[in-house]
Amino acid sequence: MSASLSEIARLIHELHPAVRALERAAQPLELPGLDGREWYELLATKLVPQLGDDTFLIVAVAGGTNIGKTVVFNHIAGSRASSTSPLASGTRHPTCLVPAGFDQCHNLAGLFPGFALRPSEDPADALNQSDEHFLFWRTESSLPDNLLALDTPDIDSEVRVNWERADQIRRSADVLVAILTQQKYNDAAVKEFFRRASAENKAVVIVFNQTQLPEDEEYWPLWVGTFCEETGIRPEHVYLAPYDRRAAEENRLSFYEREWPPVERDENANGESVIASDQARAPDEEPRDLLADLSHLRFAEIKLRTLEGSLGQLLDASEGLPAYLREIGQRSEEFHRATELLSAHELAEIDSWPEVPNGLLVTEIRKWWASQREGWTAGVHGFYNAVGRGLAWPVRVARQHWQGETLPPLERYQQQEWSAILDAVEKVYSKLTWMRELGNPLLRPRLDAMLGGTSRAELLEAIERAHQQVDLGADLRELVAREMGTFRSENPQSFEFFRRLDGVAAAARPATSVVLFVTGFGPVGHAVTPLLADTAMQSLVHVVGDVAGGTVAAAVGETAISGTTSTSVGYLEARFRKLHVAFTAQRAVWLAGLLKEQLLGTLPEDLQQAAKIGQGAELHRVRELTRNIRELVRVDRRTHEAV
Amino acid sequence: MNSERRRAMKHDELARLEMLAEVDDLTARVSQGAERDWPWEPMQRCAALLRRVLGRVEALRIRLEAPLIVATFGGTGTGKSSLVNALVGSNVAESGRERPTTRRPALIAHSETDIEALDLPRDEFELVRNDADLLRDTVIIDCPDPDTTDTDVSGSNLDRLRQMLPFCDVLIYTSTQQKYRSARVVDELAEAATGCRLVFVQTHADLDEDIRDDWRTHLGERYEVPDVFYVDSLRALEEQRIGHRPAGDMGRLLDLLSRQLASSERISIRRTNVVDLLQAGLVRCHGLIEEHWPAMTQLSAALHEQQERLRRRMTEKLEQELMLSRNLWERRLLNSVTASWGLSPFSSMLRLYNGLGSLLASFTLFRARNTAQVALLGAVQGYRWLEGRKEEKTAELTTERISALGVDDSLLRESQLVIAGHVQEARLDPSLTSQTTLPDMRSQAVAVEGDFLDDAGRRIDDVIDDLAMRNSSWLVRGLYEILFLTYVAYVLFRVGVNFFYESFLNRDAILATDFYIPATVFFLLWTAVLVMAFTRRLRRGLTTRIRGLSQELVDRQMDLALFPQLDRACREAAAGRDGLEQLTERAGELQRSIAHSTGLGGPRPSAPPTIAPRV
Repeated sequence: MSASLSEIARLIHELHPAVRALERAAQPLELPGLDGREWYELLATKLVPQLGDDTFLIVAVAGGTNIGKTVVFNHIAGSRASSTSPLASGTRHPTCLVPAGFDQCHNLAGLFPGFALRPSEDPADALNQSDEHFLFWRTESSLPDNLLALDTPDIDSEVRVNWERADQIRRSADVLVAILTQQKYNDAAVKEFFRRASAENKAVVIVFNQTQLPEDEEYWPLWVGTFCEETGIRPEHVYLAPYDRRAAEENRLSFYEREWPPVERDENANGESVIASDQARAPDEEPRDLLADLSHLRFAEIKLRTLEGSLGQLLDASEGLPAYLREIGQRSEEFHRATELLSAHELAEIDSWPEVPNGLLVTEIRKWWASQREGWTAGVHGFYNAVGRGLAWPVRVARQHWQGETLPPLERYQQQEWSAILDAVEKVYSKLTWMRELGNPLLRPRLDAMLGGTSRAELLEAIERAHQQVDLGADLRELVAREMGTFRSENPQSFEFFRRLDGVAAAARPATSVVLFVTGFGPVGHAVTPLLADTAMQSLVHVVGDVAGGTVAAAVGETAISGTTSTSVGYLEARFRKLHVAFTAQRAVWLAGLLKEQLLGTLPEDLQQAAKIGQGAELHRVRELTRNIRELVRVDRRTHEAV
Repeated sequence: MNSERRRAMKHDELARLEMLAEVDDLTARVSQGAERDWPWEPMQRCAALLRRVLGRVEALRIRLEAPLIVATFGGTGTGKSSLVNALVGSNVAESGRERPTTRRPALIAHSETDIEALDLPRDEFELVRNDADLLRDTVIIDCPDPDTTDTDVSGSNLDRLRQMLPFCDVLIYTSTQQKYRSARVVDELAEAATGCRLVFVQTHADLDEDIRDDWRTHLGERYEVPDVFYVDSLRALEEQRIGHRPAGDMGRLLDLLSRQLASSERISIRRTNVVDLLQAGLVRCHGLIEEHWPAMTQLSAALHEQQERLRRRMTEKLEQELMLSRNLWERRLLNSVTASWGLSPFSSMLRLYNGLGSLLASFTLFRARNTAQVALLGAVQGYRWLEGRKEEKTAELTTERISALGVDDSLLRESQLVIAGHVQEARLDPSLTSQTTLPDMRSQAVAVEGDFLDDAGRRIDDVIDDLAMRNSSWLVRGLYEILFLTYVAYVLFRVGVNFFYESFLNRDAILATDFYIPATVFFLLWTAVLVMAFTRRLRRGLTTRIRGLSQELVDRQMDLALFPQLDRACREAAAGRDGLEQLTERAGELQRSIAHSTGLGGPRPSAPPTIAPRV
């Protein structure tokens, strides 16, 4: 074994787990798995077990159903090693004959991954109709010590699991004994199978079975010619076997070798190539011993050739590993685009989020103020407040009577807010529907699930439940306490604010609008300023406020609001508005969080994660290994050519 | 004897005609469904599919009486051409040992057969004239094979074969020991067999073993297999050359063909093929519909649920308000009682009080903010009031009135959101929801509510009449009359005693006006007490009745729907599905009943495919 080949073997053994790791990492991309990809199967069943191992050849008999594969196999084995049947697709599992002592120095199971190995006790084992992939094996002393012979299931019957097993064996094999008949040599299924074998550079021995000699002497070159032309196979040997059922059953079928390609052509025969010498020589030629001929194959050369063929398939730019890597890259890019699409457009913009009634805010501020008073002043105020409430009672009752029951302001606010929430949900849904119509193949099924009626009902129910549970009063109280606390600490003359509270309240009602975004790679940033410093929230859903309060602050002057001693009306108004906006923002964040949790779930993160696989370490590693192997193969080939 | 046979023949003939009529009827009904404009996407796809099938049926109808087209079908090398030669008795088709032999199919016809009538693509065929007996009633096509081609590119054997198959009435399916389980051929036959009668032949009897039993087992899953022939075409051709009639299975095959493909059988065979085609098409449609049906059921359920939600909301609100409107109940109950009672002192009293109440009500009514009160006022009065208000109209009022029963915009919008999702899932025409605006829904909701209120009003009337009747039996009435009259009698007694006796005999002063003032006051008090007690009594059991009433209202099916168009579309889709199922059933039955009548094989009625669970 050349130095570069052992280096390749080392890299291949590294490549296998790396590719597996890549598959695991690429799971979010939802690509078809590695199993069933031709290059991967070759890697796992041919290259990993056989590269770097001793030279031995795997010979497999392959062909269509009911054309005597097993008969030929038994001739190679020299005994009825596998059962035959006149009915089609009898052989369901491969049977393997190994030379004496082979299983002691080789790991048979590792040589045939995907099969459950069973010692063969009965030739009828191979007819077992089990769904599990079995491989029956036994030792055959007549075999040369570096040759394994296999009988395979058919490649063209309706029992498709047979094809799968035959394909597995094909990948492991070095030499294929192709059984052909005049009915099947041109069948599409048969040609396809051998076309693959040809691409993998397998050595092929053709046995043309069930021929009628000498009539068919004229035809077989045409048949074999068509077969070779269609599949690209260059056979090592070509044999003809006569249609002799008795001989087949008694294991004494004759195989007559024919030269291929036919060299001596009769140029006069109307352009048709008829082999004159064969015609004369064929009938009295000695039958050949298949096993003996197989033993004389140039083992090392064939082994090398098939391994290189498999390597070629593995590295094939359009169907091999590079194609898979490209697929991952492209898919990852698609996810990237989907993420962009999702985040490039705002989900919803609600222009008029309802405002807390000023009265409510003022009441809360008063309460807070009252709780800040100490000593006897608090008592006095409490007393007057109680008296005031008592006096106002009849007025309140009368007003209720005449105007009908009026809702408490907080409940009214809650109703308005619910309407705004519905607004938001409606807009989000119509935006998602629009995105779905854009037909991004990745987003579509995910959005379909979100847009379904049941999930809509569930979302509404969840939001409604959450909305019912929100204690707006407590939220408001907390907010007032927080905002007023900072206000007082930075402005010692804050009592001025409370003195003028009613006047301020009458003037200010900012209109706040809320924009919801799914954050990602989209152009959020500069267009709208995030209202919140809450980074956790920002990374999920963007809440931005087009703050009318901000314009007020601007009108009054930023200096006014930052100045510590200002007591102007403008300053106080701006303060008051800031309370409003802060409350709206708080509510909007609440909604955004809920929507994110209940509607989008982990979608944005999943998409982003999938989009990152294209730059991931796993992909990088496999790419590097591939490049190294390709380089070595190139070097190897060059030295071959030089030799 | 002779007449009996004639009658039997007539009976057979009639049965045949009946079968034919049934096939025609089936065709007509399928085409009816296929031409309709369905609002449901899977149904539209079904209709399109059926239209294609009907196209082929139509082609069959055109050449109903033309000679049958018999074609060979089988893998390469299974001796299709040899069999044709053996059937005809001379070398008409080129057979050979190179695969594939036949590329351009041969069309073998009797010299008297009018090929034009068959409507075949003439350029595709090599026309061979031959005067064999078998060709008097049939035309034979020697088809190319389906299994040497890798992909179905145009110009390939497979492509040529597929172009040919729709014209064939009978397929002779040839196979060999090597090929009878070739996946390609088996798969292609599954496609080709629909709309064809089948004859199964194992060839190469000279070389191969007889595998007919195993073959029959495999065929039996999909096809009716009355017989499988095991023939040696080459020998049969030789026999015919030297003037012998072929023996064995080839003889039987020739018999079968000349008997079953006779001109009298043409119509039957073609109709059977029509049923085949229709059945296969219908089963396919059935599968398609069933696949999408769960989403449709979900939509129906969702519509129902939303309707239910609306009704529950209205009922709850109505119940709540009815419970609160005690005054109105009393007035209505009194009304009802006084209407049924004749003229009597106490009833006149009740009427007086009630009249006063009504006068006040005419004020309060205009102030009535609450729809339950309108319903309670009774259908007639309430209606008049509503009409009056309608003239004042304005959309604001409408919305306000809706919200009076708790049906606000939020509720409607929630419903619309959910339903839109279901519509999309069910693949119903999305314009059915997207075109419905909120004002549309509001007015629909108003209509629904109006309907609901009418009904509620009627039920309330019933409840009132019933309560009034139950709580004012003769005994009760007597008691109240007596109690009322006791006071009147007492005052009259006092006045009478004073007038007739004390002021007359004792010369006491006659009762001054001072007496009448307290008397009147006490009269008013007494009557008020009585009326109040009476009305209290009338209200006995009212709460339970209101509960019962709202339960009734919840259970009641509403005539008007919140999404009438969707409801209609759902019903239409359901009707379409039922119709399809019926037709499928009928086609299957028909196919079963006539499958044996031809003596030829054919595809079994395919069971509706099992639906894979939705993922």
